[in-house]
Formats: sequence, C-alpha cells, structure tokens
Amino acid sequence: MADVLIADDSEFMRNLLREILEEDHTIVGEAENGVEAVEVFKETQPDLVMMDIVMPIRDGIEATNEIKTQHPESNVIMCTSVGQEEKMKEAVKAGADGYITKPFQKPSVIEAIQDVVPS
Amino acid sequence: MKVYDGQSTEPEAPNRLKVGIAEYEVTADEAELTTSGLGSCVGVALYDTESGISGLVHVMLPVADEMRDGKPAKFADTGVELLIAEMESIGAAVETLEAKIAGGSDMLDFSKADKSIGERNAEQVRNTLSSYDIPVVAADIGGDYGRSLLFEPTTGDLVVKSANRETQRL
Amino acid sequence: MKVDVQSLDTFNQLAHEGAQAATDAMAQMTGIDTHVEVTRIMLVERAALGEELADHSFVGIQFGFEGALTGETVLVFEQDQSAAIAETLLGPDANTRMAQSSIKEVGNIMMSGFLDGWADFLTATIEHDPPTYIEGKGTAILPEMKAATDQVFVFRSTIEWGGEDVSFYIYMLPEYEPLAALMAEHSLEAENAIPVEKLAAFNEMTREGARQAAANVELMSGIETTAEVSQISFAPIEAIPKQFSDDIYIGTVVEFTGAPSGFLLVLFDEPSAITVAEALMPVTMESGELTSQHKAAIEELGNIITSGFTDGWANVLQQSIDHTPPRVVHDMGQAIIDPLAAQLGQFQRHAFLIDSKMMTEELAFQCEITALPNEQELRTALSQLDPDRTTETQADVEDIF
Repeated sequence: MADVLIADDSEFMRNLLREILEEDHTIVGEAENGVEAVEVFKETQPDLVMMDIVMPIRDGIEATNEIKTQHPESNVIMCTSVGQEEKMKEAVKAGADGYITKPFQKPSVIEAIQDVVPS
Repeated sequence: MKVYDGQSTEPEAPNRLKVGIAEYEVTADEAELTTSGLGSCVGVALYDTESGISGLVHVMLPVADEMRDGKPAKFADTGVELLIAEMESIGAAVETLEAKIAGGSDMLDFSKADKSIGERNAEQVRNTLSSYDIPVVAADIGGDYGRSLLFEPTTGDLVVKSANRETQRL
Repeated sequence: MKVDVQSLDTFNQLAHEGAQAATDAMAQMTGIDTHVEVTRIMLVERAALGEELADHSFVGIQFGFEGALTGETVLVFEQDQSAAIAETLLGPDANTRMAQSSIKEVGNIMMSGFLDGWADFLTATIEHDPPTYIEGKGTAILPEMKAATDQVFVFRSTIEWGGEDVSFYIYMLPEYEPLAALMAEHSLEAENAIPVEKLAAFNEMTREGARQAAANVELMSGIETTAEVSQISFAPIEAIPKQFSDDIYIGTVVEFTGAPSGFLLVLFDEPSAITVAEALMPVTMESGELTSQHKAAIEELGNIITSGFTDGWANVLQQSIDHTPPRVVHDMGQAIIDPLAAQLGQFQRHAFLIDSKMMTEELAFQCEITALPNEQELRTALSQLDPDRTTETQADVEDIF
C-alpha cells in the first residue's frame, strides 16, 4: 500500500488512474501541471508519483527532475501518451523509475507499480 | 528502463474484415471478408473445407517480377502465394483449399495489348492456384463493370455485387 | 525546396503508419474498430484546406508540435461519433465536462501515437503542447496556417469507422521551412527532385483549367458553375483507387498523350449527372432516371470539360496534348479508377493525382475532374515548366495568325 500522487492535465485520465489505483493504494493528491505536481509533492510527501509528460505550464520531465534532485529516494513513474524513444531517454536522465505508455492495460499499471514500490 | 504498454492483450476479433487493394486478410473464426471497387483487379477467396479457415486477397497486377517493390499482396502470383502461406500458418492445409475468384474486368483498358490487365490478372491467379493444385470452384471474371465482394465463411459463399447488375452468389 | 518521389514516399508512409498507430490506440481504449482508408500528402491552396469536411459538425483536439518537425496537428470526429466514444468510456450518463475530457484524452493518446513514429524515424524528439479541445463546423475547425505561401503541404488520413460510411480525419500541417529541410535531408534522388514552386505553379494552372472547364459548363447548361479546390496529392499507386468512394458515378474517361500522358476523368454523382444532363437537353425530361440521352449529354460535356482542361496545360507547357474520344462510364468510383491505376502501375509505384471540383450554388450538382498522369513524364514536364507562364492557359489566336 503506497501513498500516490497523480499528476495529469486530463481529468478523465486522473479519474481512470484513481479507479485503478484505489484498490491497493491511497491517493494523497492530484495535480494538473508540473508546477502543481512539485507543490503537492512537497505537501504530501507521497511514496510514488504517477507523472504525465505533456502538461501545461511545466512538463512532467522537468517536474520529475526537480523532485528527484531534491528527493532522490522518491519514486516517479512516467505515465504518458508519448512513446518516442528519445523522450524515454530524457525521462531516464530526469530520474524516472518507470515508464507507462497510454493507452495502457490495468495489469501493466499494476505491474509497473509493483516493480517500483514492492508491497 | 522497462516500458509498460498496453500491447499485451489482443483485442477481440471483429466480425467483418475489410481488405483494401493490395491487402489480404485471413480468419479462423468466421469473420466476413469484404473488398470493394474491383475493376481490373481480382479478388481471390480461399476456403479450407476441413478447418473452415478463410482468406481473401485483392490483387492489382499480374506478376511481381515486373515491379519489385516489396508489396506481395499487390500482385497475382505473390499475392496468392502469400495468402496460402498465411492461411497455413494459422492451421489451414493446402490440400483442402478451394478457391472462388471474381473481378478482372476489361473496363477502361486503353492499352493496345492483346490482353487487358484484367484478363492477365485472372490468368495469373488461375496459374498460381493450379501450381498448388487448388481448384477454382467458382468464378465471375471479365465483363466491363466493377464488382464488390463479400466472402461468408459460414456458408463458403462469395457474394458479388455490381452497379448495374443483379447480385451473384458464387 | 525540392521534393523527390523517394522522400514523398517515406513521409507518406510515416503518416500512414502514424494514423494506424493512432487508430490502434483508439481500438484499445474504446473497442471501436476503425480502418485507415488512405493517407495522402497534398499540396493544397490554404483556403481550400479541409473542403471534405463540408458543413458537418465536428469535435476533436488540436495541438502544436515542434522539434524535428514543427506545425499543428488536428484530429476531428463527427459530433455523433464523439458521443459514441464518450459513451464507451464513461457509460451513458456522463456529464458534458467529463465527455469532453475523455475525447480530449483519447485524441491526445491517438495523436501522440501518430507523432511517435516520426520522432523515432528521425531519431529525434518531437515535443507537443497539451491538447486543446475544439468544436466547430466544416473547415472552420481547422487551424489558421502560418505560411508565407498560398499553397501548403498537408498530410491527411481518412479513417473509416466500423464499416459504416462515416469517417474521421487526421491532419498534420507542418510549417514549410522545417519540412523543406527534412525533405532535403531524406532525398535520395536529388537529380530527379521537383522544385515545389513548380508543383505549386502546376496546381495554379490546374485551377485555371478547372475554371475554364466550369465556364464551358455554364455556357452550355446555363447553370452558374464555379471551380473549387485544386490539389495535387501523392500516394502509392495501390492507394489511388481508394481516393474514390464506392458510390456510383457517371462520367467520362480519356487517355491523353503528349507531355505528360495519362488519364483524365470527369465524374458526376448520379443525381448531379441527371441535373446537368437535363439542363443541356432541349426538351424537358420527366423520368428522373438516367437514360441514353442523359449519357449522350454527359459524353459531350465530358468532352468539353476535358478539352478545356488539357488545352490549358498544353498552352502553358507549349506542347500539344491529344486525347482519345471520351468513354462513358457508369460504375462504382473505385472500380472506375482501378484499371487506370493498374495500367500506370505497370511502370510506376507511386502516382500524383491532380483533382479539382466543380459545383453550383443553387442546384445540387457536383463534378470531379481528376488527372492521373504518368509520373516520370509529369516530372519532365514540370522541369520544363516556366512558372511565369502559368496564367497563359488560353492561346491567343491573334498572336498566332
């Protein structure tokens, strides 16, 4: 059971992730852009961030970079519709612990989380 | 980094598969196969009388050798070969295959050659099929009109529709 | 900027595969089965972009992208399709806000899939903005294009929806300069490359030809007729027949010879054919059905439209272009163009398709003029084309005699 922060600009996607994750985890916060993601991260200190990449104001890679620099022990899984190889390399560089591409199947989300924050 | 995506589960099989020009489809679960707008093109429907596996290819030109471009389903010879191979790979046996073919119209042939492209397409389809000993059990070839096809694996019928003539059931 | 057939083909394939990735993503999320009918690269007048949207109501998403390629991309669904998508995702009682959010996210995921292939091919990243939800009627839904030229390159995929006769569209509108640079980089046959200005000039010349043909129709029928849309598109030869629907058309086909040679089709849908043929006939017809007299009138009309068209080309190119007597056809659109594409397909893998539309304000009457030239000969003709002559579509008799 992990405390999870969901950062995604799509309300539909936040609801979908919440539905999948709530069975085994606690959703401690939501964010609609990269700036909010960093703020809510500081407030809630979650075990895991599910981080979209393409978001307004500040994107998920930058937000991940900041979170991982200040809190290297934190866990961030990118959850994005972008499937470009070069983008995945950038995510690794920013410190991401996992990468889920949308559209996803529920089992792959659960598996990714299990790999990053074993219960 | 491991990337998790949604490609792990197969989507459900649709009940109707559309075959475009220079394309083919095979089915083991009785999906209907359709293709439209055959002028000089030929549609070849193959049906395995034992397993029920079916396939349909829509070929455009007679021989692949004339134009090497890596699109086997575009040509009568390589298209028929490919269809047979794909059907075998999902469990069909070449010995129990039967063919129904339609198309190969002479419409709008401006070439000065003895034979229209439609005729040559149909001839090549027959030749390739006979090299595999696959019998052509029904055919609706030639004429000066276009055709659209629907193959029903449940009945083994090939339904041929045209603009200005009665629908045929082969 | 020059384009060669190789880079056009590569880019067309990327767009087609991108559209396939996008529809796979949708099938996975919604279970709705779609089929990418055709993808083409078009050189089109900015004002004529999106005419296939007619005045239907669309919703969709739009976002800007930049990086290896820069521009705008748009995915639009017809309004009722979007309702169906939202329903498969949210059930029947979803509120409007959530329905919009779901469409936005489906669109976002689809279009990311569309761009991924390009980025991977170019081993670079293409960044994109968060999507904007858009709705509107017809072409108004498409973004304004920032372009210095009158004609723009567009990648357009038409996607068929569950075997039904409704479609949705993906448009990718790249900015000219980055696209030009990329095309030059991926060019393999520099010596056969066509300068884009010449393609654009040819397009303009085609529009003139269509105007001439429309004027001829108006003169003969008394129906006020305008020429609309003139575009050059490029696609693999087997994709050419898919540019036409399965609907029944009536019209004429000729083979033209000269520089270039090829085929020219003048096609009316059935109701249009009856309308225009009756306007040409001296006596009023009551039947409302297509008779041999109608066909004779269409044959003559096809002849005149064809001549108006090829004369224009010949005068600009300062070549003679002959054509065979028209053959009247009455058949499924795809089946009509299929043997013509096959005849060219014996010698070429890709084709340029040049099309124009004619229509009238008052009567429901529409006519498509399509030229399918021999690719090699078109390239030769273009290399000799003097862009300054493109307005010289009419020979001046006084100059000659």
